[in-house]
Amino acid sequence: MSLLQKLDAARDFQDQLGQLGVNAIGATIDVTGSATEGRIEGKRVILAGTNNYLGLTFDPACIEAAAQAVRTHGTGTTGSRLANGTYAGHAALERELSAFLGTRSAIAFTTGYVANVGAISTLAGPGDVIMLDADSHASIYEGAKLSGAEIYRFRHNDPADLDKRLRRLGDRCARTLVIVESLYSMLGDVAPLDQFCEVVKRHGAFLLLDDAHSFGIMGETGRGLAETLGIEDEIDFVTGTFSKSLGSVGGFFASRKHDVAPLRSQIRAYMFTASSTPSVIASTRAALKRVAQGQALRSQLWKNCERVHEGLTSLGFKLGAAPSPVIASLMDSPEQAAAAWQALLDAGVYVNLVVPPGAPKNLSLLRCSLSAAHTDEQVEQIIEGYAAVAQRLFDQPRAAATAYA
Amino acid sequence: MISYDECVSEIQTLLAQSHAGGSIVPPESDLIDELGLASLDVMELIEALEDRFDVAFPINELGDVRTIADLARRIQNLT
Repeated sequence: MSLLQKLDAARDFQDQLGQLGVNAIGATIDVTGSATEGRIEGKRVILAGTNNYLGLTFDPACIEAAAQAVRTHGTGTTGSRLANGTYAGHAALERELSAFLGTRSAIAFTTGYVANVGAISTLAGPGDVIMLDADSHASIYEGAKLSGAEIYRFRHNDPADLDKRLRRLGDRCARTLVIVESLYSMLGDVAPLDQFCEVVKRHGAFLLLDDAHSFGIMGETGRGLAETLGIEDEIDFVTGTFSKSLGSVGGFFASRKHDVAPLRSQIRAYMFTASSTPSVIASTRAALKRVAQGQALRSQLWKNCERVHEGLTSLGFKLGAAPSPVIASLMDSPEQAAAAWQALLDAGVYVNLVVPPGAPKNLSLLRCSLSAAHTDEQVEQIIEGYAAVAQRLFDQPRAAATAYA
Repeated sequence: MISYDECVSEIQTLLAQSHAGGSIVPPESDLIDELGLASLDVMELIEALEDRFDVAFPINELGDVRTIADLARRIQNLT
């Protein structure tokens, strides 16, 4: 097989997607002036597939901070953090993030993906073990692979399965990093984090929590699922992203139990990539302040989640999990999912189309993500869009669904 | 240590249920090219075998496994 035959395989995959008759992968969104509305192929749509959980991409304070920073500090740093790419703003963001999370230190990265790859591949190495949830994000798999550690999977969100697999490792648990996420991005299901903490502690292993999706939206002050459960001190390491609730781009690595700062000079994904632009850092800092005082935003977000979840359930859609900002509707096939996605778009609602292998268990689904910025009217329009889909796809009205994936 | 034949038999049984339409396929069968398993399917097969034989199989080693026989030898070495 020649090197370039891989291109043919990739083209075949694109063709298969094309045969679904929709342009879901290449959909270009024209966003102007709103966190919740945009245009796709000239048509005005409600954006309900953006992970913009708190709607901060258009927060006036965040925009002003970014605009001021770009005028004062320029468009880019043109260097890595260890060279010329650490400005006062980068250091300030790390201090503020650490103070917010109550961690000993925090390291900011250029993206959330890079944060996971860098942190995981540096924490574990040859001779160590990484035990990861089967439904982990690609960045976790990549970091684990790069580390050179032995990698094992346990069944998704299953503390008993983790327990069994750690038992098999015996004394090697002391060299084992267990990795879980808080809220899983495809189905919107939440990890039984307190049970995972108990299992990891009992075996003497270490726990890394990827909090990309619950950071900012769970917990009294927005510190995520661990804050909700009152177990932040039990978690060894936490990674997260700025590109969901904080509305910008970037990632972090922090710990309450261990000082991660010395790892700056070890993490290659930190040392050898350009640092975040000053405007991104500035808007992220402004957004972090909004998150810390964001109880009203979180209340609005969860109200929206409950309403859409209730609406879709009563329409007969089988959903992926209990109410959360990610509401996945399970479809019978990739073709049905594609038709439903197009029908929703026709009805003026943009969500994410997910077909195999993008979701766990080879599921095909419509992934709706909600925002605190969605108005009550937009929330009702989203549900009406799904009603139009139900009418087009279901032969007869369905009874309210209850089961989760 | 369990026997190679026992490992092969267990893998064949699991595959008969999931991918081979109930039939027992030969040990030389390529898991991906011949039986059509996706990488996720292979990992789920590994999980089932880990539980069946109470062993830990690192997924880093999957790259060296192409056939049922390859997998059986690996599992056997872990018991």
